[in-house]
Amino acid sequence: VAGGRGRAPEEEELLLPPHRRFPRDRGGPTPAFSLAGECRGRMEEGKAHSPHEVFAHLEMLEAQARAADVKEEEAKRQAEKLDRLKARVRELTCQRDELQAKVDLQQKGQLGKEGVVSDPAQPSAHAVLEWKIKNVKDMLQVFYLTGISGKLTEQGVCFCISTAYEGTYLDSYYLDLLTKPQVYIFRHSIPTFIPLAQLAKKYLQTDIRRFLSVLSNHLNAYAARRYQADQLQEHFSDQIEGTLQTNSLCNLLVFNYNVSNKSKTFPFNVRLLYGDLCSSVPTKVTVSCTPGYWLGKCHR
Amino acid sequence: MDEIVAEYIRRTVLKIPRDQIRTMLQQWGFLSEAQLQAINFCQIKDSISQDVVQLCEQFLFFLDNYIYSNKRLWSVYQMNKRGEETDFFDLTDFKKKFKRRLQSALTNVTINFREYEDNAIWIRIAWGTPYTKPNQYKTSYVVYHSQTPYVFISVSVLKSNLPLLCQALVAASNYHDIREMELRSHYLNSLKDIVFKSYSQNFQSYYPKPLQERNVAPENLMIIQENKNEKERIKRVNSEVFGDGPQPKLEFAQYKLETIFKSDPQMNVLNRKVPFRCLVKFSSPHLLESLKSLAPEGMADAPVSPLLTCFVNP
Repeated sequence: VAGGRGRAPEEEELLLPPHRRFPRDRGGPTPAFSLAGECRGRMEEGKAHSPHEVFAHLEMLEAQARAADVKEEEAKRQAEKLDRLKARVRELTCQRDELQAKVDLQQKGQLGKEGVVSDPAQPSAHAVLEWKIKNVKDMLQVFYLTGISGKLTEQGVCFCISTAYEGTYLDSYYLDLLTKPQVYIFRHSIPTFIPLAQLAKKYLQTDIRRFLSVLSNHLNAYAARRYQADQLQEHFSDQIEGTLQTNSLCNLLVFNYNVSNKSKTFPFNVRLLYGDLCSSVPTKVTVSCTPGYWLGKCHR
Repeated sequence: MDEIVAEYIRRTVLKIPRDQIRTMLQQWGFLSEAQLQAINFCQIKDSISQDVVQLCEQFLFFLDNYIYSNKRLWSVYQMNKRGEETDFFDLTDFKKKFKRRLQSALTNVTINFREYEDNAIWIRIAWGTPYTKPNQYKTSYVVYHSQTPYVFISVSVLKSNLPLLCQALVAASNYHDIREMELRSHYLNSLKDIVFKSYSQNFQSYYPKPLQERNVAPENLMIIQENKNEKERIKRVNSEVFGDGPQPKLEFAQYKLETIFKSDPQMNVLNRKVPFRCLVKFSSPHLLESLKSLAPEGMADAPVSPLLTCFVNP
């Protein structure tokens, strides 16, 4: 009872590895005679196994073979994946080396077009100089934007304090200092109402950093208060009665406005006092309503 | 404007019904449309009438300045404060105190105030005597920037009233005393520039300043400039001291100087080197501009002596 198609099934199946002797996709009845050792062995035990047992055994072996197949496939897949990853690693390492080389070249002053590394054998001196100048200019711009910047002069240093409020840059003020025999202010453009003399007396000789910091606070707060007062006047001119009353330091702001409710209008007076000269926020606010007038309206 | 007149205007405007005030002013036709628009007719009547009085006062200041613009001679005074507390300058408070102080000493005096945009307070004072009404033709003007120690006073003929005026200023601005500085000019703005240092000074900085267009005359190649480097150096050094912008117009300045006479030792003019004191007076139609041109014109070495640049760099 040989299966197959004109071959000697026993021969073929004996050539295949043991777990391959029963391929799943082969048609035909499973040849009973190819059970080389096992079945015969069992048969030789003397017992006459029922076809049921044989089939069960065959099924078990088939399942084993299938499992082995799956395992082999899995292992093959893993191996392939490993190969792929190894290749990727090699690729990335190569890329990293390339970029590192580019960075090294750039740091040495070699300039190249974007993405393309210039030929290190021919650096453009003009390009290098341009790049250096741009770098320095940017750095100086950064210093200026920090609010306090300076430049050494022949006999001392000239500081520039720039003011800003909520993203808007306002005026800049200058301090020309001489350093010999002591640090003193040669000339400046600080407004007269900023207590410069007081601050200089306190800090200039002992702690110049603190002096500049405190002066910068005063100037920034003043600029912010003035800017806010200007903005108030500009954007709310229709609601404010008359003009805003302030002073040089803008540390006292007084204005009037009306609150209307149907037919009644209530005049309000606002008084903002900025007790801290280094702050752009008022320390005391007084809002009052003209008493007699309200009562008058009420009676009517 | 006379106080009594001002009061009359205020009371009369109050008598007019609110909705007719605007029409009345328009009929009069004296105030421009812009001035009418500046008055808020929705505020309480008292405020409206105050606004009208203020507008009339403004015309007074305008008229005075129109006629006497550069004929008035201004002097600078400096005030001193004892303490170091923060000054919360209240304009209403200042005006009240000043008026009260002056009017308590002199009954016949009219005082008007005007505030300008640069925080300058102008005070117009017409002086009278106990027996005569205030003379509107001979007025004193005071210009004061709050929270600064400087006051600009236009010297009036009635110098006897000056101490009283100074006292009133000191009391109203919460200072302690006042003294005259050695600065006088017909040009108020120039005095302000010098005292507040608001003229253009050249400060060295890395921050690129906007380039100023300068009209450079086309160079004639047939003319060779000798000492071109030296000329440039003088220009640069001069520019550092005086700045590039127009100089404040100073006409008169003086200072006291203590110095030693320098002479050839062989001449034996003075046996001992005794320092002597002197008063140096400068007068010119435009003092600072002429000092600035000393070095470029070759009349002095650059940098110019500090004895001459002390007006810009005290």
